[in-house]
Amino acid sequence: MVRLKKLSTLIIHNLKKAKGQYVSFGVFICLTAFIINIALMLAFQTFHAYGSLFEELDTADINVIIPQMQDDDALLTEVEGIDGVSFAEKHEGVFKPVTVREFADSDFDMNTVFYDLDEKRTLNRLKVTESSTKGDASVYIPVFMKELGGFAEGGSITYSIDGKDHTYLISGTVLEMQYGNYGTGMIGGYFPKAVYEEFAREYEEQVIAEYSLKTTEGADLHAIKNAISDMFKEKGITILKSNDRDTVKQTRTMVCTLLIVIFLALAAIILVVSIFLSNFRIRSAIEGELAQMGVLKAIGYTGNMIIAATVMPYVLTGVMATVSGIALSYAVLPFVAGILAIQSGFSYTPVFDSTAFLIVILVLTLAILLFSYLSAGKIHRLEPINAIRGITGEEAAGQNILLFIVSFGIMVLLSFAGTLLYNVSIKPDHFMNTLSEELPSVIFTAEDEKMSELKEILENDSRVMLVMEYASVPVSYEDGNLTAFVCEDFSKATNDICYEGRSPVKENEIAVGNAIADGFPIGEKIELTVGGRSADYTVTGYIQSVNNAGMVCQLTSKGYEKIGEKANSVNVYLYQKNAAAFIKEYEETCGAVIKSSVNFEQLSENGQKLYAGIVSAIVVILFVISVLMVLLVMYVIIHSMISRRRQEFGIYKAIGYTNRQLTVKTALGFLPAVAAASVISAIAGLWYLPAINNITFSMIGAVKNHFQVSVLILIVFAIMFIAAAFAISVLLSAPIKKITAYSLLRE
Amino acid sequence: MEKQAVISAKHLKKAFGKGESMQVIYSDLNIDIYKGDFTVIMGSSGAGKSTLMYSLSGMDKPDGGEIDFDGTDITKLNNDKLAVFRRRQCGFVFQQIYLIEKMNLMDNVIAAGVLTSKDREGIKNRAKELFSLVNIPENTWRKTSSQISGGEAQRAGIVRAVINSPNVLFADEPTGALNSANSGAVLDVFSSLYENGQSIVMVTHDKKSALRGNRILYIKDGKIYGECDLGKYEPDHSERTEKLDRFIKEMGW
Repeated sequence: MVRLKKLSTLIIHNLKKAKGQYVSFGVFICLTAFIINIALMLAFQTFHAYGSLFEELDTADINVIIPQMQDDDALLTEVEGIDGVSFAEKHEGVFKPVTVREFADSDFDMNTVFYDLDEKRTLNRLKVTESSTKGDASVYIPVFMKELGGFAEGGSITYSIDGKDHTYLISGTVLEMQYGNYGTGMIGGYFPKAVYEEFAREYEEQVIAEYSLKTTEGADLHAIKNAISDMFKEKGITILKSNDRDTVKQTRTMVCTLLIVIFLALAAIILVVSIFLSNFRIRSAIEGELAQMGVLKAIGYTGNMIIAATVMPYVLTGVMATVSGIALSYAVLPFVAGILAIQSGFSYTPVFDSTAFLIVILVLTLAILLFSYLSAGKIHRLEPINAIRGITGEEAAGQNILLFIVSFGIMVLLSFAGTLLYNVSIKPDHFMNTLSEELPSVIFTAEDEKMSELKEILENDSRVMLVMEYASVPVSYEDGNLTAFVCEDFSKATNDICYEGRSPVKENEIAVGNAIADGFPIGEKIELTVGGRSADYTVTGYIQSVNNAGMVCQLTSKGYEKIGEKANSVNVYLYQKNAAAFIKEYEETCGAVIKSSVNFEQLSENGQKLYAGIVSAIVVILFVISVLMVLLVMYVIIHSMISRRRQEFGIYKAIGYTNRQLTVKTALGFLPAVAAASVISAIAGLWYLPAINNITFSMIGAVKNHFQVSVLILIVFAIMFIAAAFAISVLLSAPIKKITAYSLLRE
Repeated sequence: MEKQAVISAKHLKKAFGKGESMQVIYSDLNIDIYKGDFTVIMGSSGAGKSTLMYSLSGMDKPDGGEIDFDGTDITKLNNDKLAVFRRRQCGFVFQQIYLIEKMNLMDNVIAAGVLTSKDREGIKNRAKELFSLVNIPENTWRKTSSQISGGEAQRAGIVRAVINSPNVLFADEPTGALNSANSGAVLDVFSSLYENGQSIVMVTHDKKSALRGNRILYIKDGKIYGECDLGKYEPDHSERTEKLDRFIKEMGW
C-alpha cells in the first residue's frame, strides 16, 4: 500500500496547480450527488413516509362499498370470517358523483364519499388539521383538494350534486391514506356530525356501508377481494366500489416513481460525463507533464505512488463535492416533496437518511477511484527516461472523442427534455392519452329511453366532430372488480389504449387491463358479473390504464348489455374548445333528454395542469444541467488544450494572427465533434427516444405511450446546442489573449 | 590505495529501433565507476553517453549485460524495485532541470526527501543547509522555478538530487541550458560536493564542465574508447586543461 503521508506534498501540489479543473470536476460530482440523493431520498422516504402514514392511520388493506340498504348486521362477522381477514370495520357514508365548483378555477367531477368526521373509527383514521374558522355548514377537505384545487381553510367550497349546489365553509383539511387523489377514482369529503346527518337525510338512497378490512401478513389481497365478491354476489349485494392498498399506493406515488426514474437516469448520464471528463483530464495531465512524471520516477517515486498522487485529488474533490451535493439536496428536498404532495395527496418532511448518504458516497467514490485509477494506469508503463524524453508510446488523449461522447450525452438529455415539453405542454393530448382513456369534450348522460334522440341531435350539430356511446361502469370478475369501458364501436375511439392484440368487436369479446393480463392469455375466457347476471367473454387484447392501476377492461355496448343495463352516457368530441358554452346551451335547449353533463374538456385541462407543472420543473432542471455540463466540459477541454498548445498559439501570434482569429479558430475546431454528435444524436433520437419513453412510462404502468418524437424539436435543439457550444467555446477561449509571443522567449 | 568500484557494468548491450532501422548504441561495453570519483563521460553527439549513464543509474534498462551497483545487479530489478533503488542510491541532475512546475523550491526538495525519511523537519533542515551550500537565499525557497534564474533552478535541482545523500550523483549536461555565469556557479557546487566525498557521474560535451572531473571517459564506437586521469580540480590549472585537450584530441573529438 502506498503511504499517503509520503505523498501529501505531491497531492497538495496537484490540487493547487489545477484548481479550476478540480472545481469543474467537483461541480459535476456535486450535481450527480445532488440528483442521486434526491432520487434515493424520494425512493426511501416517500415510500417510507407513505408506509408510516398508512400504519399510523391504521388504513385498511381493502375497502368495499355497498348500498346501505343491502347491508345487514350479520355481514360484518361474516366478512371478518373470510380467510386472510384479521379485522373488519364498518363505516357509514354517502357515495355520490359530484362536481366541485371552482376547483383550480374550473368544475371538477369526481366520485366522492362523504363521511361523518366524528364517527368513531379504528381503521382509516383521519389526521385532521383544524382551521380557526368554524361555521354551521362546515366541511373538511382532503389534502389533495387543497393542494391541487387551490382551496384554503377558512374559504368555501361548492359541491354540485344532481344539479344542486351545496356550499360549505372549509374548516380544515384531512390527511388520509384510503383515497388520496383523483387517480384513485374516489375521494373523501368529511362533515361534522350534524352537517353529515342532514346531508345523509337529503341523499338517503346514496347512503353506503363501507367495509374496511385489515388482512393478515402475507395475505393475497386479490383472493380476499374475490372471496368478498363471491360472498356478496351470493347475497345479491352490489359492490359499488372497492379499492386496495396496492393500487392506491401505485396511483398516489406515480409521479414520485416517474421522478425517481428520470433523476436516476439523469444522474447516470452526468456521472458518465464526469468520468469521461476526469479520464480526459488525467490523460491530458499525463501527456502534458510527461517529463515531470519521468523525473518523479527518476528520483524514486514508484508508478503506484505517482498514480495515487494523481488519483487522490480526484477522490478528495469527489468526496467533498459528494457531501456538498448531498447537503444541497436537503435544501431542495422540501420543495420537491411539496410538488409531489400535489399529486400524491400527502406531505412529509424529508429527514437525513444515512442509508442514502452512504450509498451516494460509496457509489461515487468507488466510481471515481476505479475510473481515475484506470485512466492513470498508463503511468505504470512509463519508462522514466522515455517520459523525460517525451515518449509515451501511446496515442494522445482523444479530445474530440470526449467531446463527441459528452455532446451526444447532453443531446440525449436535451432531446428527452424537448420531447417531454412537446408532449406535455405543446401537444398535451399525447400525455393525457397515455395516462387516461378517452378525452372527449363533453360527456352527456341521457334520460332513460332518450339516448337515440340525444345522439341524433348531437350528430346533426355542425360543431360536433364525433358522438360515441361510451361509459365507465363497475363489473366483477373472479378475483375482484374492474372498471369496464363500454363503447358502441372501439374503432371510433380517439385514444387507442390497446397495447397488445385488439379491442373487442363482437359482443362476446373483451380486452383486459395490464394488471390482470398475465392471468388471462388472449383467446382465454373471463366471466364478468354485474348484479347477479354473468357472461363469458373471450380475451382479444390487453389495454392499459394508469389511473385505475390496470384493473380495467373494454366491452362493446352489446357485450355489456348481456349483464348490465344499457349505459346512457355519450362522449361528445367538439371541433373547437368551447365545452362550457356548449353544455350550457344544451342544458337549456335539450334539458328534457339530458340527465347530466360533464365538462371533460375542463377535467382534462385540470389533469394536464397537475402534470404540466411537474414536467415543466423537470424540463427546466434538465436544461440548466445541460447548459452547466456544456460549460464545464468545454472549460476542461479548452483549458487543457490552451495549456498544451501554449507554444503553438505564441507562434501564431508571432507570425501575425490576431486574438480574434485564434479564438474563432479554436472554437471552430470543436465544432465538427459537437455538430456530428448533435446531428447523430438527433437522428438516433427517432429510435432511442421512443425506447426511453417506453421505459419511463412502463414504470408507472403505461405499457404503451402516445408520445411523439418531433423532428422539428430535435433539429431546433441540435442547432441550439451547436450554437451554444460555439458561443461558450469563444468565451472560454479568451485566455488565449493572455499568451504573448514574448512569453515564449522567456519559457 | 586501490579504488573501490561502486558500479561495475559488464557486456552491456543497447540498441534502439527494430529490423533495418535498428541502431546499435553499444554491444559489449564494460565500465567501472569508482567511489569518490568525479567521473565525466564524454563523446560525440549520438555516441550513447546519456544512454550509458541512464543504464548505469537504473533509469533505463540495457538490452543485455550486468550492472552491479553496490552489490545489486540492477538489471534484474523490476520497475518498482528500481524506483526504490534510485531513491536510495542515486541523485539526478538534468540538462532541462525539470523542477516540478508550480511547486516551490523547498517543496521540490521535500518531495524527494520524504521518500527516504519520515522526519519532515529533518528533511527541511537539511534542505536549508544544502540551499545555503549552493548559495540559494532564503527568500527564494518559496519561489517556483519560473520565478528564478536558470542557474538558481539548476542549483535547486542539485539540492533535490542530493537530499537523500545518494551513493552516486548523476548529471546529464547540467550546464547545457545555462549561460556562462550560471554554469560556473553550478559547476562550483559539483566541485564542492566532490570535495566532500560525493561520487559523481557527469555526461557532458563541454570542456569547462569536464575539467571539474578527475576521471574522464570517452565513449566511441559503442565502447569506452579512452580514459584520462586529470587529478584533483584546481581553478586556473593550465596543465589539467592541456591534458584534457590532448586527450580529447587523441580520441578524435
